[in-house]
Amino acid sequence: MHLTIGYLYGDLMNIYGDTGNIIALQKRAGWRGIAIEIKIKNQKSKIKKGECDLFFFGGGQDQAQELVAKDLGESGKGKVVKQEVERGVPLLAICGGYQLLGDYYQPFGLPSKDGKPHSGPKLHGNGLFPAYTLASHDRMIGNIVIESMFGKLVGFENHSGKTYLKKDAVPLGMVKKGWGNNGKDRTEGCIYKNAIGCYMHGSLLPKNPKLADWLLQKALEVKYGKEIKLTPLDDSLELKAHEMVVKKFG
Amino acid sequence: MRLILAIVLGKFIAYFTKLLKIGGGSAAPGLYALKICPSLVEQLSKHIPKNVVITGTNGKTTTAKMLAHFAESSGLKVIRNHTGSNLERGIASTLIANYQLLTTNYQLGIWELDEAAFNSVVPKLNPDVIVFLNIFRDQLDRYGEINTVLKNWQETLKKLPTETKIIINGDDANLLKLVAGFKGKVQKFGVKDFKIEGEDIVHKKEQRYLDFEAKNVKLDGLNSSNFYLQTTNYQLPTTLPLPGIYHIYDALAAFACASNLELPIHQFTNSLTHYKPAFGRVEKFDWGYIFLIKNPAGATQVFETIAPNIKSNDTLLLALNDNLADGTDVSWIWDAVFEKLLTPSLRAPAKQSQSRLPRRSAPRNDVIVSGSRAYDLAVRLKYAGFDPETITVESDLQNAFKQARGGLQGKLFILPTYTAMMELQSILTKTGVKKHYWEEK
Repeated sequence: MHLTIGYLYGDLMNIYGDTGNIIALQKRAGWRGIAIEIKIKNQKSKIKKGECDLFFFGGGQDQAQELVAKDLGESGKGKVVKQEVERGVPLLAICGGYQLLGDYYQPFGLPSKDGKPHSGPKLHGNGLFPAYTLASHDRMIGNIVIESMFGKLVGFENHSGKTYLKKDAVPLGMVKKGWGNNGKDRTEGCIYKNAIGCYMHGSLLPKNPKLADWLLQKALEVKYGKEIKLTPLDDSLELKAHEMVVKKFG
Repeated sequence: MRLILAIVLGKFIAYFTKLLKIGGGSAAPGLYALKICPSLVEQLSKHIPKNVVITGTNGKTTTAKMLAHFAESSGLKVIRNHTGSNLERGIASTLIANYQLLTTNYQLGIWELDEAAFNSVVPKLNPDVIVFLNIFRDQLDRYGEINTVLKNWQETLKKLPTETKIIINGDDANLLKLVAGFKGKVQKFGVKDFKIEGEDIVHKKEQRYLDFEAKNVKLDGLNSSNFYLQTTNYQLPTTLPLPGIYHIYDALAAFACASNLELPIHQFTNSLTHYKPAFGRVEKFDWGYIFLIKNPAGATQVFETIAPNIKSNDTLLLALNDNLADGTDVSWIWDAVFEKLLTPSLRAPAKQSQSRLPRRSAPRNDVIVSGSRAYDLAVRLKYAGFDPETITVESDLQNAFKQARGGLQGKLFILPTYTAMMELQSILTKTGVKKHYWEEK
């Protein structure tokens, strides 16, 4: 068996160790004899339907994020990714990637006459996640622990954008420690079909192997059209790293 | 009046922290003194005839120490924040500690400044020379994005008098952009056929003008590197008693500064032969080495430098802390290329966890991971391809050190983050291996 991972804007959207998620997917597949090919999808490159079995989209610097938002629409990649997720292709998007796959990101911009703080032009997302993000002056930094359908998940958040889930949106989990989507409603991230968006760096997948395996399993199931049971691995180190964070910060 | 009060208070705090052995007095005295007299640095530093500021992500301490060493061997009296306390409080503490001698004694101030502190402190120091070493990702939880750091530096540069001499690493494209708008003199240093790309120093042939250039570079393991130091007027054969390309950049920066300070630069090479590294920066002992690792670029450069020199009976001790000074976000270890540290004797056998075959009996290195985030580091090593069976986790650094020294057959390579390195210094002191770091010169 083999899988192709589409690494969205791997050249621009790769801060805070998000590449660790790619390493984790690659290794955990490799240890089970599943070959992985990584295709970095940069500006202007195209994605064909059926080309990628799993998508990853990391965080980037503000400036990079503007370029990427523009390209996501213009190159048609945003649309293809959304269609692929609709048919079940799994996706993981962190921080900036998560924000750009919502409805929109609203920066501050110049002060407006009516005194509203958010007057800058919206960066439109592809609307994959039923959510939108507003710029804020609060920097939400620190270790984060959430309770989710994968059990506890641990990571490190570092964002000032506040994401609000729309009606009927399903959060990835509820915050036990940290800020999460917006620091108010205790939700963190969003899950839609097999796509997950969240603010958790860390890197997320190495310390949350259950989630990493879920993404791999879904990718294989969609690709090969059958139920897949992954060979269990010895995760003692990963789980200890996970426990340590829960114990120290959770 | 406030100034005198601040100095007295600072001295008082310094006296007690040393008496009670709670620290070296490199930060606290300045911190409290600045609360009483915010213009302390401005008022005291103007007594020093020449001031140099060194900033950048990596290499500040080494560059400062090399320059100080050379200036001192040329007969100058140097004042500097030599314990690496590179915020305003560190500079204030140094100035307070040397207050009586300030007006008469010192000829040169060498100040290393943290990327963020740079912007608030430079206008107060009004330096004659400023060196920008490089800009890499570092502790994004503290400094923010690279673009933000550069934007703030640019604002600070705009306000400087045009007589200020600016020296930059000419192999760093970000720094070239930074100085594009500066009206005064800018000089560049660099290594021939090398270039900084993203987080890496890469081999690359490119035509560009450098005022100070290292040519014909030959690396000699963990001992030294040899090269020609080329300026408009000189070509000096140089032996740098530090390993790795990244240290050549530090030496070039120190040399460029010295040249601007009109020191006898033809003696620079000679002075290097007596240079002793700053603590934790390639510190050598008869049983091994300490290499500070603190961000992806710096760590990766250390891995590249040491990997070819790790023998199969050597032991590795890596320590990762997540204190404020280390960066509370340990995500950076996933951007550091630990894969480059992976020598054949550290590699996991091909079919990892499913293997039922007897394990091969080839010699294996011991790897001990320590620090408050030891398990994060263990996971990183596993995913870099290290054999999990050779990895021991011992969160307590003192125990980890004892264990590493205990069964040592070859050399011990210690790679700590900043606060782990400080902790290690105190362990080394306690066990009688070395003196207090603040007693070091």
